[in-house]
Amino acid sequence: MTYDASREANGVRIFVDGRPWKMNVLLDELNQSFNSDEPLAIGGGGPGPPFKGLIDDLRIYNTDLDPNDLSLLATSDSIDAIVALPAQERTARQAAKLRAYFLDSHAPQHIRDARRRMLTLRKQKADFEDGFPTTMVMEEMAAPRETFVLVRGQYDKPGDRVGADVPGSLHPLPSGAARDRLALARWLVDPANPLVARVTVNRLWQSFFGTGLVKTVDDFGAQGDAPSHPQLLDWLAGQFVAQGWDVKGLVRLIVTSATYRQSSKVLRTALERDPDNRLLARGPRLRLPAEVIRDQSLAASGLLVEQVGGPSIHPYQPPGLWKELTGGGDVAQDHGANLYRRSLYTFWKRTIPPPSMMTFDAAGREACSVRAARTNTPLQALALLNEITFVEAARVLAGRVMADCAGTPSERISLAFRLVAARRPSENELRVLLGGFERQLALFREKPAAAEKLLAVGESPVDTRFDPQELAAYATVCSLILNLDEVVTKE
Amino acid sequence: MQARPQDSWSVTRRQFFSRSGSVLGLAAMATLLGEGSRSHAETRSGDGPTALPHFPPRARRVIYLFQSGAPSQLDLFDDKPKLVDFQGTQLPDSVRMGQRLTGMTSRQASFPIAASRYKFAQHGRSGAWLSELLPHTARVADELCFVKSMHTEAINHDPAVTFFQTGAQLAGRPSIGSWLSYGLGSENSDLPAFVVMISQGSGNPVDQPLYDRLWGSGFLPSKYQGVKFRAVGDPVLNLSNPPGLDAQARRQMLDDLGALNQLKLEEFGDPEIATRIAQYELAYRMQTSVPELTNVADEPASTFEMYGPESRTPGTFAANCLLARRLCERGVRFVQLFHRGWDQHLHLPKQIAGQASDTDQPSAALVADLRQRGLLDDTLVVWGGEFGRTVYCQGHLTAEDYGRDHHPRCFTVWLAGGGIKSGFSFGQTDDHSYNIVRDPVHVHDLQATILHCLGIDHTRLTFKLQGRHHRLTDVHGKVVTPILG
Repeated sequence: MTYDASREANGVRIFVDGRPWKMNVLLDELNQSFNSDEPLAIGGGGPGPPFKGLIDDLRIYNTDLDPNDLSLLATSDSIDAIVALPAQERTARQAAKLRAYFLDSHAPQHIRDARRRMLTLRKQKADFEDGFPTTMVMEEMAAPRETFVLVRGQYDKPGDRVGADVPGSLHPLPSGAARDRLALARWLVDPANPLVARVTVNRLWQSFFGTGLVKTVDDFGAQGDAPSHPQLLDWLAGQFVAQGWDVKGLVRLIVTSATYRQSSKVLRTALERDPDNRLLARGPRLRLPAEVIRDQSLAASGLLVEQVGGPSIHPYQPPGLWKELTGGGDVAQDHGANLYRRSLYTFWKRTIPPPSMMTFDAAGREACSVRAARTNTPLQALALLNEITFVEAARVLAGRVMADCAGTPSERISLAFRLVAARRPSENELRVLLGGFERQLALFREKPAAAEKLLAVGESPVDTRFDPQELAAYATVCSLILNLDEVVTKE
Repeated sequence: MQARPQDSWSVTRRQFFSRSGSVLGLAAMATLLGEGSRSHAETRSGDGPTALPHFPPRARRVIYLFQSGAPSQLDLFDDKPKLVDFQGTQLPDSVRMGQRLTGMTSRQASFPIAASRYKFAQHGRSGAWLSELLPHTARVADELCFVKSMHTEAINHDPAVTFFQTGAQLAGRPSIGSWLSYGLGSENSDLPAFVVMISQGSGNPVDQPLYDRLWGSGFLPSKYQGVKFRAVGDPVLNLSNPPGLDAQARRQMLDDLGALNQLKLEEFGDPEIATRIAQYELAYRMQTSVPELTNVADEPASTFEMYGPESRTPGTFAANCLLARRLCERGVRFVQLFHRGWDQHLHLPKQIAGQASDTDQPSAALVADLRQRGLLDDTLVVWGGEFGRTVYCQGHLTAEDYGRDHHPRCFTVWLAGGGIKSGFSFGQTDDHSYNIVRDPVHVHDLQATILHCLGIDHTRLTFKLQGRHHRLTDVHGKVVTPILG
């Protein structure tokens, strides 16, 4: 039996005496990994009766054997026995086995080299082809499956039979078009259909301004809100289509606009007349998304690992988080570089999502959601102040600042502020931060052990280059800066 | 009935710039955890519920003791003495009525009836029938209202628990506690409005898992999600300052942080900054109020005697019941306990005694304790699982042993306290505890009734999404008026 690891029934073949055996596929559901702790059962497993008989000469190869290999295996005669036969009496298989043996072991060196090279190249080619990323492709069934309205959603209560089509309230599919996915895709991006471009543009607008031009980003129907700036929405949608649905181009168009680049200072009259800034008289001012808040702390401290792609990672996680809900084991937290990857790569268990992400309003992934909720809660404050990731980022940032700047505390604090807030602190701000630094330093001078404890938070190495009490005092200042409203807010 | 805090809050916002006084004054008004943090855009959007409560409430808060896995009504509450005569005989088709069974028993060759091996007796003046597995519950029977005619639409744990929690079997809707937090807010400025606690029972050790969505806020803003109090580490995640940073250092840092945010507020005038300042102050207060709440050292020995020996062990159902009472005393709106381990498919007798014992004494103690403290009148207590269990045996039936599969057609929950008739049983099942013969109560009906006790018309607590006003009870639900006190 051979298996090519394709997870498809037709990837399994059975050979009898080296010849492929005809098989009927009853189930094509090899969707589980073979990477299992379960024992490999031969002649057993499954609901049917186990194999009765004798098994002899079982060999397991870690490669998908080709028909030539199998033919050799199926020829049980020894080389000596084949050689002893007169050439004309050998079967084709015996001859093939002898030939393979000769090429492998006794042929002139240049032929053996060439053969080995051929085998190596063949393997390289196969490995190369196996390395291609795969993608799922939908294929229409030859005869579409019959579909019914399920009465009250019950799968065993089919009601009216229905067919595929676009919503009747919108423009129809071209007459004669097949009712399939390709037709739907063409219909969606048909220049005569403005809806998809408007919806897309509106969602991008929401991500920059906090509110869509149509506030109900998930509802452009009769129940949705009317756009605040219908002509702008239409123009942006038109540009988007005209530029070939270029999302980056559209983003550039929005962020380089005079509207987006306005100051987000809130004037009293503007707040009274337009509290939600629907008229766009000021720039947006929005709390950053959950992922960005974590990523920017890592980036400012220099901890961020910018590796792109790869399997999901498990950053710090409160002990027992999975166990208390499942009774089973906890996931093992990663160590080293994986603790500092972008939040995008955080492993997401939908039934028990990462707590800090949820605290900062990340989408739960249990249901589709396009609205962007932004709340402002004490749990967010607790996470930013105390969560291991942010405390570690603060102490590593402190080390970075002390290493990069040999100057006065003011200069070092200014640098930390600039690294996080991307501007210099005002005199007032610097005075507050410096006063805080001095008071924290005094506290740590009284309790040197406390400084050591704070500097050991997180798994990155303890920074031994500097006076620990001073470093700890800088760490609290850095933590303060990471907690500033301005820092967790885009303005 | 007092005005809802968020109403005054939105006025405060509107008057933000004309107000004299410092941001601290504003912050003090904005401290209600469930309410004061309503974000800028949200306050203006008009998405918030209006004019709540809709009528004078009978209960101000709820303690929901969720029995996860589905307790057997047949062995605890729903006495069916005739079943002894049918022991081992096949479930009649006239009872099953063609019902589809779960994949766990649908391929069984036979469906022999398994009578409960536990003795039932009547208790209290009300004469409630309870099995010998619940001796403590029996003593408070006159405080309880047994609904023996609960039924649900789901037949597996995940959709069934989700249905009880959110009114829908599919994920994505807000949980009942989130709806209440959204609708009514908190009565305590220093604690969350919706608290969840988990315990593992001694019954089925490989019971079904729980999920964060069960106390999630669905499409409501995330601040309405339940806050899980944990038995290991900080009761609330990230509550403790990092090692090496004591309260004095934290206070100094927060003062400086507040001063800098204040500078920003003066420069930018964004009310969100004022809210953030308030949230940091609230976080600081939680660092005191939560440990004070979870530290039960100040309870007298009699308390632990009442709730049972396990009440001294953090993370047990008993300890969580005690914490539920303490949360209740502090005005937390919705406290929900989840106790796992009730999924007795096989070897029910081996599992259920310990499982029932986990919950019996603490649940009864909680009711009695609330009563003696005068809290039961305005606290609603609910005890129940996600569905019932079958009268026919799953697995091998012997004189000593049986198991029961999932049964959505009938099961029992009990309620007590604020707004509910005490010493009362409602609804009736047939002789097999298989079908309801009188007064069926659907999950949506129970949800409507719970909201009703809190002064909420379940058809009017809504949130508009995707062109539709969503509600906990979908487009269903009828208040079960006969069980109202």
